[in-house]
Amino acid sequence: MFLTRLLKPTVTASAHCDLPCGVYDPEQARIEAESCYKIIEKYNGSNDEQFKIRAIAIKEERAELAKHHIDVLWSDYFKPEHVQKYPEITELCWKAAKQCSKVKGSLDLGEARTLLEMIDKIADVWTKAGGPQATRVAKAAAARA
Amino acid sequence: MEPVLREGDWIVVSLGRRPRVGEVVLVRDPRDAEHLMLKRVAEVTDGVCKVLGDRPEESTDSRTFGPVRLADVLGRALFRYGPVGRIGWIW
Repeated sequence: MFLTRLLKPTVTASAHCDLPCGVYDPEQARIEAESCYKIIEKYNGSNDEQFKIRAIAIKEERAELAKHHIDVLWSDYFKPEHVQKYPEITELCWKAAKQCSKVKGSLDLGEARTLLEMIDKIADVWTKAGGPQATRVAKAAAARA
Repeated sequence: MEPVLREGDWIVVSLGRRPRVGEVVLVRDPRDAEHLMLKRVAEVTDGVCKVLGDRPEESTDSRTFGPVRLADVLGRALFRYGPVGRIGWIW
């Protein structure tokens, strides 16, 4: 034990990866985009002016968050090697980020639906690129059951 | 940096000396001087060197944070002295 303590290194260096947490998942953007979708639905079903004003403010905030999460995936998660293998990812992220701006300024449910579809396409690439294994922490078996 | 380096490896680093291409080196993160990293030297030019991880898809390296000043390359990773099953030179 003493020897182990003596030999144990005192300085730690990381051999891999990001200084940030390294967890990337398009689901984060999707949840914000789903919020936009649901808010637009609720907006359309309401006659309460106060509620409608709040709904718009919150939708704009959520759309901005969705855009942020897409930006993070694009600039931090996807590496040149991914782009080489899945060249479509650049345009997918670019268009999805633009779609967030559209949803931010619109009350059209169709625009929100389009955004969800775009995020799903990004998620497909993320999955093919091994994202779930590379970036997420596995859930405990008991928690899954 | 797998399979050369794994989490929990105990490493001997020889300090000083100019880095050469292909060596695994201990470098200061140019974004945060407190953060030390082990990366492989890809290129050495005047005063700076480019470092890359062995697994480009997983690695954040000079492609993201740019070249590292030679002054921030602290030494070469030479030897793994633990865990026991992984003892050996680092190439």
